[in-house]
Amino acid sequence: MAETLLVQPDTKFLREVIGSGGADLKKCYQCATCSVVCTLSTDEAPFPRRQMLAAQWGLKDRVLSDPAIWLCHNCGDCTTHCPRGARPGDVFGALRREAIKYFTWPRFLGRWVNNPQMLPLLVLVPLLLFGALWAWGPEADSVYPGRMEFANQFPIPVLEALFFSLSGFVLLSFAIGMTRFVRALRAGGATAPILANLPGTLAEIATHRRFADCGAERTRYWGHLLTLWGFVGLAAVGTIVGLGHMAGLVHTPLAATSPLKIFANLAAAGSLIGVAILVADRAGDPLKRTRSTYFDWFFLIVLAGVIVTGFASQFLRQGQVPGMYLVYYVHLVLIFLLLGYAPYSKLAHFCYRTVAMAAVRERREAIMLENRSKGS
Amino acid sequence: MPEKIGVYICAGCGIGEAVDTAKLAKLATGELKAASVQVHPYLCGPEGLALIRQDLDGEPRKVDKIVLAACSPRAKTEAFVFPSELVVERVNLREHVAWCQPPGDEDTQMMAEDYLRMGVTKAQKAKAPAPAAEAVSRKIMVVGGGIAGLTAALEAAAAGYEVLLIEKEPRLGGFLASVRKRFPGQPPYIELAADGLKARIEEALYHPKIRVLTSTRIARTDGQPGQFDVTLATAEGELADRVGAIVMATGWKPYDATRLSHLGYGLSPDVITGVELERMAAQGPIRRPSDGKPVSDVVFVQCAGSRDPEHLPYCSSVCCLATLKQTRYIREDSPEAKIYVIYKDIRTPGQYERFYRAAQDDALNFFTKGEVTRVETLSDGRLAVTVTGTPLGADLVIHADLVVLATGMVPNSADGPAIRELKDNQLKVLHSDSAAQRAEAARRVEELKHHENTEILNLGYRQGPDLPVLKYGFPDSHFICFPYETRRTAIYAAGAVRAPMDGARAEEDAAGAALKAIQAVEMAARGEAVHPRAGDLSYPDFFLQRCTQCKRCTEECPFGTLNEDAKGTPQFNVLRCRRCGICMGACPERIINFPNYSVDMIAAMIKSIEVPEEFEEKPRILVFMCENDAYPALDLAGYHRRRYSTYVRVIPLRCLGSLNIVWIADALSRGIDGILLLGCKFGENYQCHFVSGSELANRRMTNVKETLDRLRLESERLRLAEVAINEYDRLPALIDEFASHVAELGPNPYKGF
Repeated sequence: MAETLLVQPDTKFLREVIGSGGADLKKCYQCATCSVVCTLSTDEAPFPRRQMLAAQWGLKDRVLSDPAIWLCHNCGDCTTHCPRGARPGDVFGALRREAIKYFTWPRFLGRWVNNPQMLPLLVLVPLLLFGALWAWGPEADSVYPGRMEFANQFPIPVLEALFFSLSGFVLLSFAIGMTRFVRALRAGGATAPILANLPGTLAEIATHRRFADCGAERTRYWGHLLTLWGFVGLAAVGTIVGLGHMAGLVHTPLAATSPLKIFANLAAAGSLIGVAILVADRAGDPLKRTRSTYFDWFFLIVLAGVIVTGFASQFLRQGQVPGMYLVYYVHLVLIFLLLGYAPYSKLAHFCYRTVAMAAVRERREAIMLENRSKGS
Repeated sequence: MPEKIGVYICAGCGIGEAVDTAKLAKLATGELKAASVQVHPYLCGPEGLALIRQDLDGEPRKVDKIVLAACSPRAKTEAFVFPSELVVERVNLREHVAWCQPPGDEDTQMMAEDYLRMGVTKAQKAKAPAPAAEAVSRKIMVVGGGIAGLTAALEAAAAGYEVLLIEKEPRLGGFLASVRKRFPGQPPYIELAADGLKARIEEALYHPKIRVLTSTRIARTDGQPGQFDVTLATAEGELADRVGAIVMATGWKPYDATRLSHLGYGLSPDVITGVELERMAAQGPIRRPSDGKPVSDVVFVQCAGSRDPEHLPYCSSVCCLATLKQTRYIREDSPEAKIYVIYKDIRTPGQYERFYRAAQDDALNFFTKGEVTRVETLSDGRLAVTVTGTPLGADLVIHADLVVLATGMVPNSADGPAIRELKDNQLKVLHSDSAAQRAEAARRVEELKHHENTEILNLGYRQGPDLPVLKYGFPDSHFICFPYETRRTAIYAAGAVRAPMDGARAEEDAAGAALKAIQAVEMAARGEAVHPRAGDLSYPDFFLQRCTQCKRCTEECPFGTLNEDAKGTPQFNVLRCRRCGICMGACPERIINFPNYSVDMIAAMIKSIEVPEEFEEKPRILVFMCENDAYPALDLAGYHRRRYSTYVRVIPLRCLGSLNIVWIADALSRGIDGILLLGCKFGENYQCHFVSGSELANRRMTNVKETLDRLRLESERLRLAEVAINEYDRLPALIDEFASHVAELGPNPYKGF
């Protein structure tokens, strides 16, 4: 006996999905071509047809707690093959955004970050914050007399305090979001031990095996791989330098030949190439495969901006060019946008996807292994 | 006066290379005593035709019967045209000899010579048919004043024919006169059409060629095409008229929803059928029947009692469209209502896929595949609909305030043969001598009781008062590629009574049926047969002095051509006849014959075949072949230069059902080694052009087997196979396999007697 579900369509949610990204959702007529062509879908828990139907019917709780929307890696095969033009790939993108908005804390930030009309306000916060710090910051040359250094612009301890507290808030937000998400996954029947599965899942993400399975173009595989690894590298350097500086072990500015500096530059370069590939991918072929929304562009442009302004700040400083302070100011603002709004922007997908993959890992692993042995 | 036969042999298209035409000419002049024999390398060209015309132009004519030994009778029909008083016989030397047999071979030559003998023999026995000259009415009666009937009437009237349009209800218009809107009628097929039928009803009412009779039923229809004498029961009393052809457009009725209690019908006033919703929509806004409040959650149950072996096994093809249309009504009346559609498949035959898409695009329309298993009332009076088998992987419960069952279409037809059987059995209950017979008859009466008083056309036909129906009650003849045809000549079914369909298709149907009706009266006026032997002037003659009243002909005629007098003697109605010859095949006394197609003629053809002596080891296989499908298939095998046994001799038959079993005995006693019968597919999806001919032939095989036993012959010497017109590539192998089987059996022991 199958479970019984009392149907109460959430029309607000439905219109939200249709209004931003999932415009063609209602066109789906349940032929299941999408589930058949999808290389990641399995016979036991197929997608995206079932989730398309749940979304069409406005079954919000059911579809947002379904790990399948995160198992999709957005290759667009379903969209290209859909005979009805329902664009399941795009709908899944919209559903992932809705899931982030739904599980995150505080929810109003989730709504703001995903509303283009709120963008000025969201940018204004770091603009004013760093503008005030700059205005009331140290006297020029006070820290490094005779040279232009960023320490002359912003007091490092204040920046550190600011970013660590911001990180704390972000972590709290993620913690609450993940708690809600996991509770929903459990209620939806995804029962695998998430913590125990994390190492395996992370290893899988590190190698991008799903992307390789996904049958998407190789460019996207490399684009995402480089972006991810570059980003992880930068985050690691940032954290090490920050902590090291506070502990008095690391002294900034780092010399150009310092291993950390070299590593950071390599990571930034890799990430920049990755982002460039992803941007070109999205901009180059907007209708055929994947339609891009504000949700996608906000994240990619902020990430690209952070890296570009980072490089620019570094080179301008080395050249002692006067514009360096302004560029660094923009750099910090962008970092705030990227880091501070992470739980509400597309960046959050790394958390949700990782947890969702871990929550269904055993079953999927077993199936994929079996399929492989059958295929070989 | 002995016949003067002209034999014209073509040597073109490879015939000259394959056979010795000079020898054929010699055979014609010598043994066959032809009055004129010509060989020409290009007989269908101007010179060749001039050669034939020369023999016809003299006074008196040099020849009065023509045998063309050239290509298949299906080829060059536009070149070989001769006055209808001449007998013309075509001997197929091209497709059946030159193109499928080794050239220059002795056996090939023997085959050609046999075909020439058979052709000349046939011509000798044939007389040119004289058409049945009867005065006919060209008036067309249309039964039913719905969309199909109105369209048929207007189309026939527009073509200049008088029309009698009768309707049993007091008003014209049928179902579509009482709907709020119609399905989209023009590109892009998204918006509902506002126009109902008003303009068309008025046009019919005021058309000078159309006489409209409402509140009218048919008391009786006697006679035959061109001469149907109808007695009408009108509100003002009885009225008699004579019409030439009939279009039956009696439409449909919704499936009886009281049988759908498992879907909640009868449980609450808020469970209604699609037709009930349509009525409500036509009269005003859609409201809950129980309390008149606006609706907020509506569930449509598709295939309610359709595609279900317990109810209607078929798809009615319009219920999905009706539901899509009704979602529009609900949206007009209640903009925020949620509409759930539970379907097996959404089907949109015709131009309606965009209409479906448009309905899908409505954010508050929810479609899913699924099956409704339960409808219950809740404590607040609302309804809980349980749906299983959805792609969601969970059973759904939907709380609704209106449940609409999309029920299917049942044809408004009457099963003539069943009514006839009911009446026969009712008589038997009263008059049978034995108690067992009376009990059996009473049982049948009980089974058939639901046919009581269902007559529509009330035909004065021996086989029953209405059209025979197929198993779902549709009176379609099931003729492949020939819609509208029924099993009663000059009576055509159109619209939803013929097959489930929507208004737009019914209009097309009606126009087609009207044209068929016009064709039928015109051909009746000329004494010609209608489809499938369109234009045939021959008809059978019954030598009734020798009739034994066995009733086989009256029973077996697929078209109800024959009535009976009190003694059971057949009464022939020439204009009902399709000229298939099934009666000829049925008659054990062999008293039914056509002037150009008779038992004696075929028997003579069989006798004209040269059967070599046993020691020559040249067996002979006779193939009786349906000329509608099997014969063209063998022609096609020739076109593709497929080889098959040189020992076969083909005799084309009008229908395999015209096969008289005496021919089997004739052939076997003549020394023929095997007989192959090739007819159309029979059974449920039959392809016989005369509905039941090949099936009847198959049934007669039982009797034939007895004949074989009497002759002490192996029954495997006789075989019946079904061949479709597209199976030319299977045919040579089929023939060869039979030929080798006959070879294994050894020669016919009667050879040489």
